[in-house]
Amino acid sequence: MRLPALGRRSLVGRLVLLAAGWSLAVLIVTGLSLTAFFQQAALSRFDLGLTDLIEGLNAGVSVEEGRVVAPALTDTRALRVYSGRYWQIAEPGPNNTIKVIVPSRSLFDRELSIPSGVVAQVAATPAVQVFYGAEGPLDQPLRATAMQVQLTGRAAPVILMAAEDRSPVDREARRFAALTAGALVILGAGILAAVFIQVRVGLQPLFRLRGEVADVRKGKIERIVGDYPSELEPLATELNALVAHNQDVVERQRTHVGNLAHALKTPISVMLTEAQQQPGQLSEVVSRQAEAMRGHVEHHLRRARAAARSQSHGERTLVEPVLDELAVTLERIFQDKGVEIDWRCPEDLCFRGERQDLQEMAGNIMENASKWSRGRVRATAAVVSPERLMITVEDDGPGLPADRRDEVLKRGARLDESAPGSGLGLAIVDELARAYGGSLVLGDSAMGGLKVELSLPRAET
Amino acid sequence: MRILLVEDDPDLSRQLKLALGDAGYAVDHAADGEEAHYLGEGEPYDAVILDLGLPKIDGVSVLERWRRDNIAMPVLILTARDNWSQKVAGFDAGADDYLTKPFHTEELLARLRALLRRSAGHASPNLSCGGLRLDPRSARASVNGEPLRLTSLEYRLLHYMIMHQGRVISRTELVEHLYDQDFDRDSNTIEVFIGRVRKKIGPDRIETVRGLGYRLTPLPGEPTE
Repeated sequence: MRLPALGRRSLVGRLVLLAAGWSLAVLIVTGLSLTAFFQQAALSRFDLGLTDLIEGLNAGVSVEEGRVVAPALTDTRALRVYSGRYWQIAEPGPNNTIKVIVPSRSLFDRELSIPSGVVAQVAATPAVQVFYGAEGPLDQPLRATAMQVQLTGRAAPVILMAAEDRSPVDREARRFAALTAGALVILGAGILAAVFIQVRVGLQPLFRLRGEVADVRKGKIERIVGDYPSELEPLATELNALVAHNQDVVERQRTHVGNLAHALKTPISVMLTEAQQQPGQLSEVVSRQAEAMRGHVEHHLRRARAAARSQSHGERTLVEPVLDELAVTLERIFQDKGVEIDWRCPEDLCFRGERQDLQEMAGNIMENASKWSRGRVRATAAVVSPERLMITVEDDGPGLPADRRDEVLKRGARLDESAPGSGLGLAIVDELARAYGGSLVLGDSAMGGLKVELSLPRAET
Repeated sequence: MRILLVEDDPDLSRQLKLALGDAGYAVDHAADGEEAHYLGEGEPYDAVILDLGLPKIDGVSVLERWRRDNIAMPVLILTARDNWSQKVAGFDAGADDYLTKPFHTEELLARLRALLRRSAGHASPNLSCGGLRLDPRSARASVNGEPLRLTSLEYRLLHYMIMHQGRVISRTELVEHLYDQDFDRDSNTIEVFIGRVRKKIGPDRIETVRGLGYRLTPLPGEPTE
């Protein structure tokens, strides 16, 4: 079955629409049958009155000296002019017309009309009442009945007719219909509201599941933990399995990448050393090519790690322990220089991403600062907004002129060739930060050296 | 100078043995973790060059075992893994320096010289306060044998307090001994550092004396010296 656009887009809309359509059909059928039934009953009651009148006429009518004499009927309404209750005695004329013999007083100067078809019908079935509709003297809608009878003392048959204004019955029927319609509309609205509430409440676990999945993605929770009805439980389990699988894939890729690094770097190291020890053209070529290999290995390892990274989600990492261990490690690495790293970080600050990536970013920036400093490095992590955090690293070294800062962030730039290290440091951080939707900004520090501001997504605590 | 070289790649081992020999060192070689651990335990080496990816027992585990057994010679780690989690793990295990493959032999020799010079320097005895122990030679600290991870500021703070244990030390006094003159002297930072050090050595060793400062004492029941 094709549903309207709204129904196809929303589950709630779909369910409510179906329920509403079905209820509407039931209500309309109910309303129509009730009204029809009421009208039928009212009309039958009304017809009993007419039958009484015509039976009275039939019982009392007589022929005196060839003239038809109507009985003295006690019904006062038949005496008042245009009262709405009429009778008349007529005789059939040619071509199914009639000629009035005696009218009721109420008819005054008018007569009751009768369609020719009805005349033919009563002629065909003597002594049987035939009901029909007619129009009264004041244009009232009339309910009329006619019956052809044979009177003693008169050869030609007469037609007895009685009629009454039916507008009170119609009015009553209309009022009933209006009342019924009102009641059914209220009932319909009630049903619709009940269905809507039922659907919302019924689908509540689905909305909750959606919320939890969003939380997993945002890194607020690690997996879906809520209690779900038996229909949704398998879905929740599957989603958890998917999250676990993703993490597993990322982890495996990292492991492969690490193994590749280890496997290639030792041979390269051996080749470099060997080539250096034996001068000649061969060793020069080997040395140059080994250096190129080293560059390729570095480059593609970073690439592979970045690919693994884009698949990971839902991770959150406390910043404080990472800064602590990096500070301790870097102070050891630069022990000869006596570098001191003063770091500050709120205890509950969380980075939305993987620990290894935060280590890589903060580690490279702090290493760069330590390398260039004259002994003092300051690292400060702070909350910027509910969604962002900022790690600022400053040193007291020579700093970097503004026009060379863009160059540093370019992949593979080696401004720091004079100091040991890969020389890729800040470019890698920049690339990583972008992958997380963050940024890296270089500036001047009040301490005299370079100030590096790393903006990253924050996970709320 | 006697050096232990632990490396499983035969070509690299040969090259390094040659280079170290030329530089005047006596070199012993171990090709797997088990042999390295055995040699390091039994012989008095002046320094160790330790590859991390080793057969049988990996380098970090070997280093951890030595440090647990109070074997304190300087160790230079050699590894292909250049991410920070590996470096942090290496230093946490007790390494003194770190060199990433591929490297130039000259750099290895320079690092080794610096390492030996550093360890030959001061020979002051270990300091202790109850279960808290400081080794000024390697600038390392431990609580009940468990090594602590301290930044140099934290180490200096603890060093000053352990030298004056049992006495109340004011914040101003701490600031003066922790920082050079040109550094910002915000006494709030002392609270930050005290908080961090407490987290690392256990909350009850440093007592806050209201209005006066801080006091380092052994825990009740621990022997005082």
